[in-house]
Amino acid sequence: MIMICADGCSMIDRRMAFMESELPTFKEKNPQLEVVTELIRGQHPHLKGFYKNKNERVVCVKNMTPEDILLYATRLRNALGRKVVKLRTRHVTKHPSVQGTWTTDVKF
Amino acid sequence: MAHRRCLHSALLHATALISLKKSPSLSIVKALTSKPNPGITTSNLEPSWFIPWSYIRHFSSRKSDDSENEAEMEESSDGEGESDEMASDMVRDYSPEEKEAEAAAIGYKVVGPLQRSDRVFKDYEPVFAVVQIGSHQFKVSNGDSIFTERLKFCEVNDKLILNKVLLLGSPTQTIIGRPILPDAAVHAVVEEHALDAKVIIFKKKRRKNYRRTKGHRQELTKLRITAIQGIEKPEIKTDGKPLKAAVKKPEKIAATA
Repeated sequence: MIMICADGCSMIDRRMAFMESELPTFKEKNPQLEVVTELIRGQHPHLKGFYKNKNERVVCVKNMTPEDILLYATRLRNALGRKVVKLRTRHVTKHPSVQGTWTTDVKF
Repeated sequence: MAHRRCLHSALLHATALISLKKSPSLSIVKALTSKPNPGITTSNLEPSWFIPWSYIRHFSSRKSDDSENEAEMEESSDGEGESDEMASDMVRDYSPEEKEAEAAAIGYKVVGPLQRSDRVFKDYEPVFAVVQIGSHQFKVSNGDSIFTERLKFCEVNDKLILNKVLLLGSPTQTIIGRPILPDAAVHAVVEEHALDAKVIIFKKKRRKNYRRTKGHRQELTKLRITAIQGIEKPEIKTDGKPLKAAVKKPEKIAATA
């Protein structure tokens, strides 16, 4: 499904708070996810989501409260890896007509 | 000049009297408002520089202004606090299952259990339904995806049953609801909760030095329709070509009240 890995920076304390309090509950609620924490020096803390369609989504969580970080993590979890593009139609179908497409020749 | 001074003093005395009359109400207001001292201390400091009659006037007017402002601020802050509390209470009160069910009824959906290893995705069936989800209506068939507003109380990979079905159709039959069909049900699965692309709201008034930029991302839910119930489904496998060939179709319209 989705793999999320949280990368941390040694600068910000809130990231530590998130890692201690929110991450374990997040891991438990989502057993299907592989959650990896890495410490990368010189970078701001961010969340990376790896999706099944080989898409990566990066969210910077610099200076964010643990609640906000959890919100972004759940957003990454809820979303598919599709590209964020303006929707063309709200209804996507392969078979648009069941009773036949109407033309001016159709008579009921 | 003397006349002016007399008038001036008369006015001042009048204002002093008026302020003195107002003072009991002001004292009551002061008792009600529990504002800290800074507003009052400044007014206490300033009158010392003035003559007693002007001292009274400034003191009372300042206090009246402060107290009025304080009262307004208090009321507005209380109102906002109450509304904020109400909003937060509204969010928290949804935890009981009854209220979730009510809210789900408003959104025309019933959350079923999560699916695990259920084969819900069937082949295409030539049946369609017109379903309503929270003021938007969709003509839906098996295997379609629909983007709706963010639905609360359902997470990814949840089964939903959409109650409000307005029309059911198949190649041979059409059932029209008035306005909804009571026995029909459309099953769907929540695919994702995602944010739409960013829309930039740009406001400008020309030659008036006014320009505002605001970004907005709408929260959407993607539903995949899995099954439609409530109509007889034909078992013919080749659906597309005979349907297009037949211009007149035997349609039995059964109106259900």
